[in-house]
Amino acid sequence: MNTNTTDISNEVILPVVKGKQPLTYRGVIGNEYVLNGISLILFFSLWHWAAASHIFGHSSALATPFEVIERLGGLFSSTLAGLTIWGHIWASMKRVLIGFVLAVLAGVPLGLLMALNPLINAVIKPIFDIFKTMPPLAWISVAILWFGVQDAPKIFIIFIGSFVPALMNAYKSVVLIEPELYDVVRIMGGNRWDEIRLVSIPGSMPAISAGLQIAMSSAWTCVLAAELVSSRSGLGYVIIQGMKISDPALVIGGMMVIAAVAYTFSWSMEWLDHKLCPWRRDIEGL
Amino acid sequence: MAYEVVKTRKPLILIILPIVSVLVFLLAWEISVAPRGVEDWRIPSTLLTKPSDVLRLAIDKMSNPNPDGATLMVHLWVSMQEAFLGYLLALLVGLPLGLLMGWFSTIRGLARPIFELIRPIPPIAWIPLTIFWFGIGLGGKVFIIWISGIVPCVINAYTGVRMSNPVLIQMSRTYGASDWQIFTTICVPSALPMVFGALQIALAYCWVTLVGAELLASNQGLGYLITMGRNLGRTDIVILGMISVGVAGAMIGMIIDRVESKLLAGIRR
Repeated sequence: MNTNTTDISNEVILPVVKGKQPLTYRGVIGNEYVLNGISLILFFSLWHWAAASHIFGHSSALATPFEVIERLGGLFSSTLAGLTIWGHIWASMKRVLIGFVLAVLAGVPLGLLMALNPLINAVIKPIFDIFKTMPPLAWISVAILWFGVQDAPKIFIIFIGSFVPALMNAYKSVVLIEPELYDVVRIMGGNRWDEIRLVSIPGSMPAISAGLQIAMSSAWTCVLAAELVSSRSGLGYVIIQGMKISDPALVIGGMMVIAAVAYTFSWSMEWLDHKLCPWRRDIEGL
Repeated sequence: MAYEVVKTRKPLILIILPIVSVLVFLLAWEISVAPRGVEDWRIPSTLLTKPSDVLRLAIDKMSNPNPDGATLMVHLWVSMQEAFLGYLLALLVGLPLGLLMGWFSTIRGLARPIFELIRPIPPIAWIPLTIFWFGIGLGGKVFIIWISGIVPCVINAYTGVRMSNPVLIQMSRTYGASDWQIFTTICVPSALPMVFGALQIALAYCWVTLVGAELLASNQGLGYLITMGRNLGRTDIVILGMISVGVAGAMIGMIIDRVESKLLAGIRR
């Protein structure tokens, strides 16, 4: 929401002219940026205090923020299981990207087909509904049985995890299109193909791209779970290794890297969303 | 009446096809899996199990605790307990926090940066740290489920408050309502549909995360059943576990749907 305009009714938007505010105690305390700073400082000092005073009873439960930074900095030059942290990031990223792209290539067209053709829908929907109920993480055991311990089972789980939201949203998106748009195409003399080309596909883009964002975050959850269960590389391996050698600094550092990478990915998905459906740019919170 | 309700009949083929499709799928599954110890063109029993065998095992597991130490119902009960405890705690903390964050800028300023720091971390990534803190008992799993459930609660409650109509807020300001009065009488009710959306999303998240938490560290529960099946090389147990998780999840989802449509009969947007 734009901060320098205020909605005073449903139609009229007036700019609010803000003069210079006098510097008061309440004004400083009420400022959100100041509060953000206070909150972060409080959070990190509480963390440091909890780690330094061994609040969980033993030293291997929590590391101070400084230890984490130090450990993380060390990982950029030294190696863990033969890879630096960049190598582990790349290992996880490669799996996510392969599984995600495969799932999107299979899921989105299939979802659109199901929405556009009732016969295909009648055949595939019931089987899809059966598979949809099983959480992707429940497939890990089967995936390991089927594909061994290399990259294949991880890609398979990521595929399943992102296939379901990709297909679901593509399928539902077509239903949400306003029927008037089809009427317009028909009045202009368009045939069924024109309807699909001009209305169905562009009209379903917002929901599809929302589905892709869900699919991407699901893919990250899946790759982490798969790597926690069995792996020799990747970010999930980093944190499970930290757990095995009782090194909380490594675990928390790994979590930070995971958060940063996941954040970058969701940010780039939002960027993609803006590219795919530029008309939706200003709708907030959907 | 301007509109007339027209009943359209589904074509017969659209009614039959779904049933045929499921039957063909089950039949193909049944045929393409070899029985135990037989090796031919079919998929060996170490990789997949016939649906009929899974059904037989399911009936057997109702009373037989071997080979993984508990009956199916005990596993289900343990899983449900963990999921619902985490879910309820997530609702209790997440919804008020999200609502307050939406309206009071002080709370938003204090809580937002920490929330934004924690949000991008997938709940699964908390597992190692949780094991350090709580061990592999109930507490750790509830904590992970709590983390996965709280994120959609906060986001939805927050968005719900932010989406309340500014005209209403300004009108009540004009009539002299206090901040707290506006919050309770305008913001909270207008956030309700989003809050109910959060109930459903959070439950789905909790159920998914539960399996992940149990895959790693557990001694009972459906996720544990799946892991044990793999460790024992019993594909039928793995498949049974997967199906149980799916069926239980679907049933919970259906109940929530029912409750939601009853409660929200009037205000669903």
